[in-house]
Amino acid sequence: MRGLAVKGVTKAFGPQEVLRGVDLVVPDGSFTAILGASGSGKTTLLRIVAGFERPDRGEVWLGDELVDDAGSRYLACERRRIGYVPQEGALFPHLSVGRNVGFGLSRQATRRPRVDELLELVGLSGYRRRYPHQLSGGQQQRVALARALAIEPEVVLLDEPFSSLDAALRASVRADVLGVLRQAGTTSVLVTHDQDEALSMADQVAVLRDGVVAQLDTPAALYRHPGDAGVAQFLGEANLIEGEVRDGVATTILGRLPVGGWTGPPSGQARVMVRPEQIELGEVGEGIDGVVASYEYYGHDAVVRIRLERMGVPEPGAPELVVRITGGPPVVAGHRVGLSVRGPVVAWPVRHNKQENSPE
Amino acid sequence: MKREWLDRHHRPGSHRPVGLTVAAVLVSVVVLVPLVFLVVQAVQVGWAELRHLLFRHLTGVLVWNTVSLVVVVTAICAVVGTLAAWFVERTDVPGRRWFAVLVVIPLGIPDFVVSFGWRALFPSIGGFWAAVLVMSLAVYPLVFLPVAASLRSADPAQEEVARSLGLGRIRTFWTVTVGQARVAILGGAILVGLVVLAEFGAFEILGYQTLTTEIYNEFQVGFNEPAACALSLILVLLGALLLVSEDFLRGRGRTARLGSGAARIATRVPLGRARPAALAGLALLVVLALGVPVGAIFSLIVQGGQSTLPPASLWIATGNTFAFGAAAGVVATIAALPIALLSVRYARPGVLALERVNMLVLAVPGLVVALSLTYLTEHFLQSRFYLTDPLLVVAYAIMFFPLAIVSVRAAIARAPAGLEEVGRSLGVHRHSVTWRVTVPLVAPGLAAAFALVFLETATELTATLVLHPTGVETLATQFWAYQSNGSFSQAAPYALVMVLIAAVPGYMLGRWFDRQPERMTQAGAAAVTGTPALVAA
Repeated sequence: MRGLAVKGVTKAFGPQEVLRGVDLVVPDGSFTAILGASGSGKTTLLRIVAGFERPDRGEVWLGDELVDDAGSRYLACERRRIGYVPQEGALFPHLSVGRNVGFGLSRQATRRPRVDELLELVGLSGYRRRYPHQLSGGQQQRVALARALAIEPEVVLLDEPFSSLDAALRASVRADVLGVLRQAGTTSVLVTHDQDEALSMADQVAVLRDGVVAQLDTPAALYRHPGDAGVAQFLGEANLIEGEVRDGVATTILGRLPVGGWTGPPSGQARVMVRPEQIELGEVGEGIDGVVASYEYYGHDAVVRIRLERMGVPEPGAPELVVRITGGPPVVAGHRVGLSVRGPVVAWPVRHNKQENSPE
Repeated sequence: MKREWLDRHHRPGSHRPVGLTVAAVLVSVVVLVPLVFLVVQAVQVGWAELRHLLFRHLTGVLVWNTVSLVVVVTAICAVVGTLAAWFVERTDVPGRRWFAVLVVIPLGIPDFVVSFGWRALFPSIGGFWAAVLVMSLAVYPLVFLPVAASLRSADPAQEEVARSLGLGRIRTFWTVTVGQARVAILGGAILVGLVVLAEFGAFEILGYQTLTTEIYNEFQVGFNEPAACALSLILVLLGALLLVSEDFLRGRGRTARLGSGAARIATRVPLGRARPAALAGLALLVVLALGVPVGAIFSLIVQGGQSTLPPASLWIATGNTFAFGAAAGVVATIAALPIALLSVRYARPGVLALERVNMLVLAVPGLVVALSLTYLTEHFLQSRFYLTDPLLVVAYAIMFFPLAIVSVRAAIARAPAGLEEVGRSLGVHRHSVTWRVTVPLVAPGLAAAFALVFLETATELTATLVLHPTGVETLATQFWAYQSNGSFSQAAPYALVMVLIAAVPGYMLGRWFDRQPERMTQAGAAAVTGTPALVAA
């Protein structure tokens, strides 16, 4: 197995700059998710790694081998040993499942047992003679994965492989695919616009925004310590409020909140992020006063939107807060509550001369 | 490191389809040759003479004869084709499965054979209404096929919503059902118009004078090239008008389906006491459109059948017809590849414009293609190629080129570039991927394209009469020679072979295209008739 590295890769289609200097290191044997909104260039990046497209500038490394330097050095895609699982699977419609899986295996090699072995790996043992149109979406996806793994690739690239599946199927196919990839031990790169998918599957997540990697970190670190407000909002819901930080404590409309990992000057204006699950609801008078604006019940949890009040009067200029609660009795709109914040919050210094990047 | 590095030419990304573009432009130039040399010829004739030819009484009569026929036949076909499609697809009329087959078969019978059959059974018919009758019976399936396909795929929920909003059954039919099928009806009707404009043989047999019959006579009998040229200009202009009107009339209405829920199969309207009447109507249609011509051919063969052995010339003519059809099919299919590849894989405004330019040929009847090529070879090539096999094959390929483009494009769309990429990422070489993935996926569609052009060519009469090499007879020319002499029973076996060649595989192709996206249905519809017509999609 080999790792993968992308250095300073740019790519433009005509006047449109899609990638503007992407740097990304995918460690050997890890599972990395590239998370980005649609149109953020994540598929283009994957296609450059696979060798289907060439970068305008930059380098692509497979292990210690330079496979594309945007100049004369270019290793053709069929020589990279990169397994590619495209959207919708893209199975060859005229070939049976067995022939699809065996497509990249040479004729003489022990093709038949290898195909059977791979089909067993993806849980489709009895399906060798079927044709793609006889399979469900999830089964097609698993055949596509088996086909990619057949050539014993060094790296497997997955291009939004689950987006065409319905929600119920998605979770189980995801788990199956992850299990197979872990078992095979390959270096894997998944491209997705679904943050749940990225956070739940990957060892590390790269957030791609405006053609560059905005942040690369483990899922937990990314969620807890997003590099800026844009990344924070892209990874789940976030309440953003103004505050002033001094000695590791932010003074905000939600009170004085301890700040984790502050990188700004010892004191100054800040943007403070509070995750919805960090806010607790209590009786009026406990903590900050608020009134329930709406209540959405999801079964496993509920989302409450709160308007802040001061002495029974709506706080001017205060944003509506999103609060996620589990259990407890239903709350009614108009109900008065008290708010308190649990745990440290994240804050970024406000730079007055520079506009904050916002997610697409 | 002992890896091979690919040379610059095969790098993705940097790839520009230069070779393809050059090929596509060259093909387009050849396809437009008839149109260009029609204009060149007109310029050489000169405006003074053209004006004299265009503004004489005869021209007025011919234009009136042609246009009135086009209008009436198109209207009748639109009504008959739509009603027949509705009865077959949306009602509980008995035997609708059989009718779905029988109603389409007349499309495979060349128009001049239909005309011949009626003339043989009823020797006294002729004139405007006879032409209307024969043409309507010969070409109404051009409306039936696309409308039936569209009704089959239309969402029944719209009709149900209309009923729930208080509309009666008949108003629902008019506003919703016809509305859903509007684009299909319009496309079919334009095809009918183009076919009637281009038809020659059927009118000649019925003694009905139109632009085409007069052009043919001026050229083949009177050797009056300027007159033929002037009338051809009018004919092409009328065709172009029809083509443009399709874009214009189609409007912005689209059949939108919101959401991804699968449309249900339409429920059928119970006809109740009207069932026998509907059954009788469809049966009458089949008898008139299929029974009369086929019955006439068989009765002629039986009557004239002293010798049970077909003449040797029948086999020779069949062989020639097959040879020309195969050659034209191969040439047109291969010539369509560059443009179809560009339009599927590199769809850009310039490419799509190039594709549309080729569709202009639809407005040029086969007779005009033949005259223009004759003019070209006589005046610019010192009569080299004139009346040779290659020129006739080129003429066929040009006439049926739009058909080839649409079919080849559909074929290529079945093998998206993504599949090739996946194949290569599995470590298989480019050429090997082409052979193992692209070729098997594209081949059936290419075969269909070939078959369409083959069928068209096999039943083509007009251009064949003008351009066939002396002494090389095809089924169509032999048939024509015999029927012109009044030897109907000798002409009948040739007609029968043409019907067999065209109708059976034509019907099967029609069903195949039925399963393709809607756009292809029109190609299929155009294909199984003996016409060069196909509406630019």
